[in-house]
Amino acid sequence: MRCAGPPVSLTLAPGRTGSTGDREAVLSTPAAQHVPGRTPDGGPAARARGLTKAYGSGETAVLALDAVDVDIARGRFTAVMGPSGSGKSTLMHCLAGLDTVSAGRVWLGDTEITGLRERELTRLRRDRIGFMFQSFNLIPTLTAAENITLPMDIAGRRPDPRWLDQVIDALGLRDRLGHRPSQLSGGQQQRVACARALASRPELIFADEPTGNLDSRAGLEVLGFLRGAVDDLGQTVVMVTHDPGAAAHSDLVLFLADGRIVDEMPKPTADAVLERMKRFDVVRGPSGDGHGAQEG
Amino acid sequence: MLKTTLRSFLAHKGRLALSALAVILSVAFVAGSLIFSDTVTRTFDRLFASTAADVTVQPKQDLRSARLSGSVQTLPAALRDRVAKVDGVAAARAEVSVQNAFVVDGHNKSVGPTTGAPTVVRGWYVTRHSPVRLTSGHAPHGPGEALLDADTAGRRHVRTGDTLTVQAQPGTFRVRVVGIATFTTTNPGAALIYLDPAVAGRELLGSSAKATSITADAAAGVSDAVLERRVGAALGTRAYDLKTAGEQAKSAAATLGTFLDVIKYVMLGFAGVALLVGVFLIVNTFSMLIAQRTRELGLLRALGADRRQVRRSVLTEALLLGLVGSTLGLAAGTGLAYGLIRLMSAFGMNLKAAEMVIGWGTPVAAYVVGLGVTFVAAYLPARRAAAVSPMAALADAEVAGVGKPLRVRAIVGAVIGVAGAVALAGCAAATRTARAASLLGVGVGLTLIATVVAGPLLVRPVIQVLGAAFPALFGSVGRMSQRNALRNPRRTGATAAALMVGLALVSGMSVASASMSASFDRQIDRTLGADFVVQNANFTPFTRQIADRVTATPGVGLVVRQRLTPVAVRLPDGRRVTTTAAGYGARLDDVAHLTYARGGSAAALADGHLALDADYAEDHGVRLGSVLPVRFPGGGRAELTVAALTDQESAEGFGTQGGIFFGLPTLEKYVPDGQDSALYVNAAPGTRATDLRPRLERALTAFPQVQVRDQADYKELVHDQISVLLYLVYALLGLAIVIAVLGVVNTLALSVVERTREIGLLRAIGLGRRQLRRMIRLESVVIAVFGAVLGLVLGLVWGLCMQQVLALRGLTALAIPWGTIVAVMIGSAVVGVVAALLPALRASRMNVLAAIAHE
Repeated sequence: MRCAGPPVSLTLAPGRTGSTGDREAVLSTPAAQHVPGRTPDGGPAARARGLTKAYGSGETAVLALDAVDVDIARGRFTAVMGPSGSGKSTLMHCLAGLDTVSAGRVWLGDTEITGLRERELTRLRRDRIGFMFQSFNLIPTLTAAENITLPMDIAGRRPDPRWLDQVIDALGLRDRLGHRPSQLSGGQQQRVACARALASRPELIFADEPTGNLDSRAGLEVLGFLRGAVDDLGQTVVMVTHDPGAAAHSDLVLFLADGRIVDEMPKPTADAVLERMKRFDVVRGPSGDGHGAQEG
Repeated sequence: MLKTTLRSFLAHKGRLALSALAVILSVAFVAGSLIFSDTVTRTFDRLFASTAADVTVQPKQDLRSARLSGSVQTLPAALRDRVAKVDGVAAARAEVSVQNAFVVDGHNKSVGPTTGAPTVVRGWYVTRHSPVRLTSGHAPHGPGEALLDADTAGRRHVRTGDTLTVQAQPGTFRVRVVGIATFTTTNPGAALIYLDPAVAGRELLGSSAKATSITADAAAGVSDAVLERRVGAALGTRAYDLKTAGEQAKSAAATLGTFLDVIKYVMLGFAGVALLVGVFLIVNTFSMLIAQRTRELGLLRALGADRRQVRRSVLTEALLLGLVGSTLGLAAGTGLAYGLIRLMSAFGMNLKAAEMVIGWGTPVAAYVVGLGVTFVAAYLPARRAAAVSPMAALADAEVAGVGKPLRVRAIVGAVIGVAGAVALAGCAAATRTARAASLLGVGVGLTLIATVVAGPLLVRPVIQVLGAAFPALFGSVGRMSQRNALRNPRRTGATAAALMVGLALVSGMSVASASMSASFDRQIDRTLGADFVVQNANFTPFTRQIADRVTATPGVGLVVRQRLTPVAVRLPDGRRVTTTAAGYGARLDDVAHLTYARGGSAAALADGHLALDADYAEDHGVRLGSVLPVRFPGGGRAELTVAALTDQESAEGFGTQGGIFFGLPTLEKYVPDGQDSALYVNAAPGTRATDLRPRLERALTAFPQVQVRDQADYKELVHDQISVLLYLVYALLGLAIVIAVLGVVNTLALSVVERTREIGLLRAIGLGRRQLRRMIRLESVVIAVFGAVLGLVLGLVWGLCMQQVLALRGLTALAIPWGTIVAVMIGSAVVGVVAALLPALRASRMNVLAAIAHE
């Protein structure tokens, strides 16, 4: 478990050129403070056993996830890849308590979330999980600052101002705080979403194609922030993507096909991931998607 | 293109449902009122046509007198013989029929209707025109026998053999019910008591030589018109009014018509409110549907549809909505008319609902209204739809319809608003009632339009103030709801406008009516000096025996009678006015505090004198000592000398001008058989008023038509009269609120759909269902309260101006009903909560994943 240990002190900001001030913000966070009240090395951040998700029933039933067993390692950056319809988004939704499962069990830390009621799931998402989506990540009526603190505001908790300042500065959002989402670029919007996910110090951040709508430079920026969050803050991140370049930023890539985890690749590179993905096309043939279920 | 339109209409039918409801409501009121009035008119036309004699001879009626003065115009019964001798007359009758008698049963309860329909006591003749038929017992013979109509007998539980007391003008007499007569036609709601015609003249008019009309039946082959001419030639047409059956029916229907008109106008008022408020709802619905479909419309444009086709497509959709709404509205209107007819029968007017008349005008009006309103309301959104560029298909139209800048609205709103404000200021400054009233009308109209137009501009400042506490009170949920309400000012403005219109109307009217009540209170305090007033609840005259009874009650010190009469006065400036004058008994100063500019009560009440309002006198060139020719009902003429000029705060009540009054002996001379309309009673020295009251009430038990009132009771009576008007306004408000709620529901429901992804996101990052519902509820409340604030402010301004107009008529007190205003504010918040129920539920039931994936 590489996240445990003494306070780390590393730069979160990716190397990039820019005009605005203090990019090189230093986050100084003991991991114990990061996840209060929970042992940092008490097993995986999330795990699933026999996770099955079916759409429809009887003859026409389509298996989006077929008895998936998975452990999401704490303090690691895990990427989930797979061709369209492989069930990668469904896996993320089920792990995050957004979707119900047809069979199997899912745990977040020590909490089994399968069988939780709607209200408990809502609270769990609010307090223990952070989200980044491909687009429409922010509430258009709220300013960047209000969006960042929204989960805590909803919970009625006061954000830790020091931590908040650190996150904001690390993401270079200091001079954008009063802006509405419509006044921000796509990259800035995703940075705000990233800040929101970090601000409440969740156990797990789920990022669903976070770079899907961004140009390559802004995409790299966001990936750099996620990487930094894992390395510097001991944050656990699960990212769904179909971009081998994005997956290359992770510690471990899980490959899904037809609702099963078919492979995994530690310390990936873009080329290796691309090669692995090409094999799916060969296996699946030119007719492509056989499932037509949840899209990635 | 038509196929696309139809598909779109069907796809959005859920979202159009509330708009359709608004159309249905307004069409229903239009259709209902038309059907109802057509049915009633047809029924009564038939009734009057079948019950009128071929030719009727009546005294000349130039001043309508019966209701005010209680006197009955008569003609000699001997005329009957002259009519009977006319060639072509098959039969002639001297009819006696009065409406100034009051009938009570053995328990001193009134037998007559309580609804304002008359109690008619008349002689019993069986002709082919009789509206009733004897169904049990026998015809009345001699004094002491009478028939009663079956409806009244049933309602008042009177049976054959019971005794009734008839308080007629010449005196009270008792009759035994010897039979029951049943209506063969529609019963208009009156109570009918039939006496032996041989005694009716003496009992009801004081002399058997008098009659109220002569009716003649034509012999076979003689037309009514020919007969009328011949009778006219025999009697001379100068002294009498002659009418054929047709003319008689028409004049009877005209009398009833005014009552029906009231119902018709009330119904049309409801239709108007429904329409006005409905327009906002439809405009909003179409605007939102188009904002949501921007991409789809862009695609259509990209595929080659031109602007006109897009516009036509939207308008066709609107017309379909109008068509469906009108058809359903027509059906609902028929139901409404049926309900009204049933309601009327509950009030004793026995209409047969089976004979409901639906004239060709009703469906025409229904469709014109229904289609017209949807077309007009959808026109602007349709233009906006046509303006969508083909590029919209490609662009990410995520942020729907924030709208163009509101500069045009600002300018138009400001111009109209200033014009309206000028008109209202002119109204407040005007010194003549007519001018002030017309300026008020113009000002109210213009300021209303200005507020509707500029409403969206007011959204931001007003809601920022209204919702300022929200973030503090409700955290981010409060903040988001406030921002959501601000999101599309055009939409929020239009939604709130519906509520605003209704509340402006009501708050304006309530200021006016509260001011009226306060003014009357002040006036009563200042002028009423009597311990008690004995009077009807509806100010109609009553038998003179009551005055005798009151005078004879031990402990009564003074009774001053008031009698009213219509008079026609020729003024020195050449104008001839028909107005109501009052006659007062002596010692008026002991029961009323009158202030005089010139002269005094003694002079005013002296024989051959009169008094009138000083301002009115000045306006019309009347001076102290002027001699005014005055004509009384029944043809009496007098030259009365102006002996006093009064300086009252309000000389002009309803339907009277000039505040003319004179002594009771003067009135008695020209209207000898008038009845009292009020008695002012003072306790004798040494008797306390509180002791006198029960004695008076005991003495008057046989006269249930009058009540004893002290100052407080009298004020309450006046308040009740004013509240009737207010109840109507409240009913209108109720309808406006119902539709306004529909509008808020509509806006919220469509907004929820529009914000599906946003709601999904909120739910994903941990917003609970309850919090989501609260967010939508708060937004709804903020919109509703915004509408209420605008409406109340506008209404208060209107109310102040209305009060200025009333002040010109002497009602100078200004009262602002703060209680009502606070209640309206709280009520509007409740309206917001209620309106948010369904949209909030829908939002909270939304599937989080589906919401995130929503395109």
